[in-house]
Amino acid sequence: MKQPVWDLPIRLFHWLLAGLIAFSWWSVHNQHTAWHIWSGCAILTLLIFRLLWGFVGSSTARFSSFVRGPGSVVDYLRGRWTGIGHTPLGALSVIALLLAVSVQVGLGLFAEDEDGIYMGPLSRLVSSDTSDKVRDIHELWFNVALGLIILHVAAIVYYRLSGQRLTKPMITGKAELAPGTEPMRPAKWWVALICLAIGLGITRWVIAGAPPLG
Amino acid sequence: MRIAVLAATAAAAFLGGCGGPETSQANNTQANISNSASETPTANASATTNGMVMLAAAPNKDQALKIMHDRHEAMEGLGKAMKSLHRALDSSPPDVNIVREQTAIMAATAPKIPSLFPAGTGPDVGKTRAKPEIWKQHDLFIRKSKDFVAAAQAIDAAAKSGDMNKVMALHENVDKACKACHDPFRAPEH
Repeated sequence: MKQPVWDLPIRLFHWLLAGLIAFSWWSVHNQHTAWHIWSGCAILTLLIFRLLWGFVGSSTARFSSFVRGPGSVVDYLRGRWTGIGHTPLGALSVIALLLAVSVQVGLGLFAEDEDGIYMGPLSRLVSSDTSDKVRDIHELWFNVALGLIILHVAAIVYYRLSGQRLTKPMITGKAELAPGTEPMRPAKWWVALICLAIGLGITRWVIAGAPPLG
Repeated sequence: MRIAVLAATAAAAFLGGCGGPETSQANNTQANISNSASETPTANASATTNGMVMLAAAPNKDQALKIMHDRHEAMEGLGKAMKSLHRALDSSPPDVNIVREQTAIMAATAPKIPSLFPAGTGPDVGKTRAKPEIWKQHDLFIRKSKDFVAAAQAIDAAAKSGDMNKVMALHENVDKACKACHDPFRAPEH
């Protein structure tokens, strides 16, 4: 019987993040810098939501359920891991992706465009020269995020070839579990709304230039 | 689910087409903005004073490279002026002197743009982000450059009069004039 593995907030987070990263890339390469900045702000909201959901969300969303030491990675590689959610190895990828995207968004907030037309919401907190350098790093850092995304997709293809489908559970939220596996403990839906509201609130504050700093 | 995996892979491949970690060719000339703006476009000026004659005599390679260098400096000077203006207008109250300096650079540099893009200074000659379309659709290019001259002179006049509200109202026109020419005629950075 299929059992819940990923809750709705996690699935929405995942696909919105993927979509917005693609949109950010497209918009900045097609002279839609304003859209690019808005997209980055939307990703900021998602990241804040994900951080909070990692503490108060459903069991498979919580960092405490998948951030583990190297011992569990070794156990997993030796086939001695049972459980649901992120595998110990997959968890490393998830953490790296979340960190890389966070750095990318953080850099973007302080960047300005090369023509002095568009400014990231926090670029006024630094000098124009610093802001230009931040933009250069923002551009380079994308390759780090891109490398992790490619690794992520390659891993999914690898699992698919070895008979395990990972994409479908990320859409339907359900998967066939081995007998005796502890199922996902869902969190309350309204807790997700509170996390989202906090994410939106902090993002609005950032867009306003982070007063009273800005 | 195969479709989703394939789509995701395709998306990754698509993203992968976005070039490697080339370092940006930021030209770190610390030249004074106003200097670079006023010195720039004198090369070949005799042939290109009104910006419409340039097709007559193409510059030789050395002349072309010199013009392209001057052009880079002038455009970078405009970029710096834009950035300073944007930041000055964001602070309240705006520093009128800083605003005037920047708009003066814009008003002085804008009319020189046609003479900075004579035929024979395209990407086939040297490293430049100037697209060949500049010379294929030269009338359009000249029209766009005149729009920029109008926008730059209007905001400079407002700055000189000290009317900062008017400067702020005109600021967007300058942004639009930059973008209106860059979008069709400037290649991406990498």
